[in-house]
Amino acid sequence: MSTTAIAIAKTSDLAGASVATAVLDNLAARFRPAGVFLVLLKPDGTVAYADPAAGMFFQRYVLPLLQYPEPNDPSGLRERVRQVTASSSVAVWNALPGIVLGAVPYAEKRQLVGVLMLAGKSSGFKLGEDIVRVCSKLGLDGIWLNQQAEELPTYGDEAIQRHARLLLSVMRDQLRLSSLEGELESISGQLADTYEELSLIYQISGGMRINRRATDFFKQACLDVMEVIGVRGMGVVLQADNIHRQEPVLYGQMSLPPGHVKKLGDELMRQLRQRKSAIVVNDLTKDKHFSWMVGSSHQLLAVPLQRQDQVLGCLFGIDKLAGDFNSVDSKLLSSIANESAIYLENAMLYDDVHGLMMGLLHSLTAAVDAKDAYTCGHSERVAMLGRTLARESGMPEAAAERYYMAGLLHDVGKIGVPEATLNKTGRLTPEEFDQLKKHPQIGARILRDIRQIEDIIPGVLHHHERYDGKGYPYGLAGENIPIMGRIICLADCFDAMTSNRTYRKGMPLEVAISEIRRCSGTQFDPGLSEIFLKIGRDRLNEMLREHTEKSKKLADLQEQIRAA
Amino acid sequence: MTAKKILVADDESHILNVVSLKLKNAGYVVVTARDGQEALELAHLERPDLLITDYHMPQLSGLELCQKLKADPATANIPAIMLTARGYELEAGDTEKSGILCMISKPFSPRQLLATVTEVLQKTAA
Repeated sequence: MSTTAIAIAKTSDLAGASVATAVLDNLAARFRPAGVFLVLLKPDGTVAYADPAAGMFFQRYVLPLLQYPEPNDPSGLRERVRQVTASSSVAVWNALPGIVLGAVPYAEKRQLVGVLMLAGKSSGFKLGEDIVRVCSKLGLDGIWLNQQAEELPTYGDEAIQRHARLLLSVMRDQLRLSSLEGELESISGQLADTYEELSLIYQISGGMRINRRATDFFKQACLDVMEVIGVRGMGVVLQADNIHRQEPVLYGQMSLPPGHVKKLGDELMRQLRQRKSAIVVNDLTKDKHFSWMVGSSHQLLAVPLQRQDQVLGCLFGIDKLAGDFNSVDSKLLSSIANESAIYLENAMLYDDVHGLMMGLLHSLTAAVDAKDAYTCGHSERVAMLGRTLARESGMPEAAAERYYMAGLLHDVGKIGVPEATLNKTGRLTPEEFDQLKKHPQIGARILRDIRQIEDIIPGVLHHHERYDGKGYPYGLAGENIPIMGRIICLADCFDAMTSNRTYRKGMPLEVAISEIRRCSGTQFDPGLSEIFLKIGRDRLNEMLREHTEKSKKLADLQEQIRAA
Repeated sequence: MTAKKILVADDESHILNVVSLKLKNAGYVVVTARDGQEALELAHLERPDLLITDYHMPQLSGLELCQKLKADPATANIPAIMLTARGYELEAGDTEKSGILCMISKPFSPRQLLATVTEVLQKTAA
């Protein structure tokens, strides 16, 4: 008895290792109610699968009998298995006492695995000499076996053959079904990966906003890619230009020994500048350039960020969580790098153009300030205060930046006012005052043809209007004065009061603040005055200090202009 | 702890297969429906812990499905995640009243969907 149990255990191990047990279990369950038992024999005659839920007759008698080692194969079983597998047709065998077997060839993935058999009690089963001999070999009680057999239907050759044919067709359907299920699963898996890559690319392109810092963009891209490819660490090297340059960084749960990230970044850039295509190293011990990383890392994937022929930086991943870096990973990372490189190039162009424009505007302002000796750094301070007022009024950052520009250019029209008038220390004659009052309109005229800054013209044109309507050039009042004009007006007056002139010292901050309060509603928009007063002297002082540093540079520039 | 049961409803079989594969691999029991009506019947029969449904479906839309589930005390507590190509059609009030905890727009990241499922199930368990 115990030997049988061991035999069955062995059989199931074998089955699990080599055949699709689920398919066979399913088939076995269909034929079991008919009193037949499913078993799979390999070409060498060993049992690869046996219905684990079969009755005692099959488990204790049929299965051991099929497995019983007979050196010379007297029952001809092994020979018959060979015949069936060769002929691929249905066969019926009566070789074993009391049993009839219907056999069909069994293939998986178009590979012949063996012979699938249905075993039934044969119509000739009786407790005769044959069976008693087998029982004694197997250590079975013949009477017990006979009792077990009585409950089973008997099968003749023809009946078992019919069942075997049915088995063949059901088996083919089953195999087809299970292979389709497998295909579906694999396609779904592929599709899931594709969705993942697609949404990664969407997400990354969504993050490509020009006003975002490139380092922030690349950090987020690294974190996103890390999840999708499944790596321990993901990093970036940026060596594009002065603004878009950063020390190599590595994100993720892993950390490298001190200095290794920098060393890796430098080495990667050296390699990528030459080859200009992805580096895939799945075994760092065998790589001559990166074997020094062994100990902290195993695998490396890196792709260049390049613009035309110039390598601006690179993206790199360290240690894939499952398996090796493959062509899918390097392709995905490359396409992300290509997209990011375009973004990087645009960011560089934007910074170039923006830097050039701001430089030109500062030069223009410096030229104005140079003409008017009293107002050194005035435009810059009005710009900063204007921007602060815009922010405090609740405007978004991009809009507030326009107020900075308006402040910078508000007095540009003074270029058209005679220097003698601008620099006169005594009282102006009515004619001179008329000349001076033209500067907002002259400024607006100077700027009106520059499409990119036409939105700041109201700040230039209306910065001498008063809330009570007594200002110039148009005498607009209240809300009729564009908000930009009202803001620049307040910023302009405050700076005029506090800054030193050659002929007088600037007012103390407190006096200027109370002056703003006093003129709220007459000269200034009362709402804005309130916002201004909330800023408080500490922050105003802070702003002036910040400006002093900048104005040193401006003063130098003015010096150069004067000298020229 | 027994595995959580999730009902997935979508008339597009590729979405259905991708979502079920991802959930099955993560150890959830998955029941699938190919339209809103089938999903409604299965929700009563299977009492899932969570519903993931498409918005545009024949017979019964995802929103109608959620409203019907919400109206019946037996299924009112099943939280829902809605997959949609047109999230903007839904009013915030509608989603709240129908037990829809979040919207995920197609094409979605299966990984993020799984993360959302885990989060929603943790939240509702607490």
